[in-house]
Amino acid sequence: MACRETGTVTTTNPAALHTEPITPATIAAYGRYLLDLAEATPDHLLTTIDIALPNLDLRVFMPEGQLADAVRTACIQPRLRFPGSARMIKITVLHPGVGGAPDPLEWGKERYTAHEISNLLSQAGLQGSLFHDLRFWQFYDLAAGRGVQLMAGAEMFPPWEPGAPLRAFLHWEYAAQGRRMTHAGSLGRDGRGVLLAGAGGAGKSGTVLAGLLGGLSSVGDDYVLVDLLDGRPSAFPIFTTLKQDDRGVRRLELDRRLGPRSLNWQDKIQFRTSDIEADISLDGLSIGAILLPRIGAEATVFTVASRAEAMLALAPSAVYQMPGERESGFRFFSRLVSMLPAYRLDLGPDPEEIAGALSSFINGLPS
Amino acid sequence: MLDLNTPYAISGSDIAFEVFDRDVIVLDMGNGKYYSFSDGGSAVWMALVDGVAPRDIVAFFSHGETLPSFVESLCDLGLIEARLDLPPVAPGPDLVAKLSDAKEAPDLTVFDDMADLFVADPIHDVEEPQGWPVVKQAQ
Repeated sequence: MACRETGTVTTTNPAALHTEPITPATIAAYGRYLLDLAEATPDHLLTTIDIALPNLDLRVFMPEGQLADAVRTACIQPRLRFPGSARMIKITVLHPGVGGAPDPLEWGKERYTAHEISNLLSQAGLQGSLFHDLRFWQFYDLAAGRGVQLMAGAEMFPPWEPGAPLRAFLHWEYAAQGRRMTHAGSLGRDGRGVLLAGAGGAGKSGTVLAGLLGGLSSVGDDYVLVDLLDGRPSAFPIFTTLKQDDRGVRRLELDRRLGPRSLNWQDKIQFRTSDIEADISLDGLSIGAILLPRIGAEATVFTVASRAEAMLALAPSAVYQMPGERESGFRFFSRLVSMLPAYRLDLGPDPEEIAGALSSFINGLPS
Repeated sequence: MLDLNTPYAISGSDIAFEVFDRDVIVLDMGNGKYYSFSDGGSAVWMALVDGVAPRDIVAFFSHGETLPSFVESLCDLGLIEARLDLPPVAPGPDLVAKLSDAKEAPDLTVFDDMADLFVADPIHDVEEPQGWPVVKQAQ
């Protein structure tokens, strides 16, 4: 087999890896090649950003720019430490023009099926993801705790990336630890809290904002880290991002506080927890219930829901939105749902009334 | 024609299920569809995946006349398959109680909100020029 030296990087079958579209047969080798390339890229060409996440010390090497700014501001830096030492992982972000980074290759004609690609990569000790429209590649070596993100240009990333940067890497790492990045909102008080689950438009983000403005705390309105340690579900903050559509911003009287802002890819106004001086539970929340919000009631009402309802509200988007194999996510969310009571949360129109009802509900959670 | 004497089993590694209290949720990882059942459907599902043949379910199930069509629909959806190689298992007391207590005829509900995105090839199935996650519609 032909070998070639590329700086300090050695690859096998380099001609194919440098020019030909990627296929299921070559994706793992391409991932290894990019990981080696990241390792060989001189540090002085990149900015180093250190982020302290729950049980994870994340070191990111990346070019300065919009995405670096997003990593600095979108990730929370909690003081929490889980038992045991935090694991260090390193992610390198590259694009052509930075060191010897090549133009990202295209996918070939073969079908790209996410869970089959995940299975192929995991056989090589990797996880990976491709956002094809932008040839945005991400590969992660679980054993080494090393990741690489190759983009076609400095701003060639999916529109959702600044809101939850490097989310795929965090998902892969936390899933390997038995924890889970979870698509849910959260509210709490004095360390106790609830998860809010449901499809887009159910009212998760608006409820979180109403609660925050009404004196409650949160660990996130879109993605939170869930841990089931010792059979007691807890949720921890990862991102500082909040978002709300224009109508919701006016309803919550946030328009003057936030000032004029452009809309994000979902036609929502995106901002940070610090913009509204939100109380973020840096030590996490012990979760006592899953709430399934629904807009359109005259006043806020809680009614008991079945665990099956909670599972159907939580699992489909939570399982789908994270790249990789799906079964472990289904099992994880099943365990989470089995540990908690679930309630339908019919939301009234008044944010203050919603916050008051949630505050009373959370105060009544068993300790 | 459904063979009531044959035990059934989950059809392949893409099918996962969990039981919550007495409710069953099934995920088909091959197509991203979730299924939930009436209480009768949940009881029948639990009996079938335990290896109880339909003829032995009918004996304890108050909605027995609806059983063959329900089992057929589970087969048609690719959730279970007949397993001639497996010996039928007698239902235990817990299963007998669940089957006897079922108030509703066996029925299922399909949840496929995310299914289009779950199975779509994000490279070849997207609508141009919007790109992922706008999935190309069938002509």
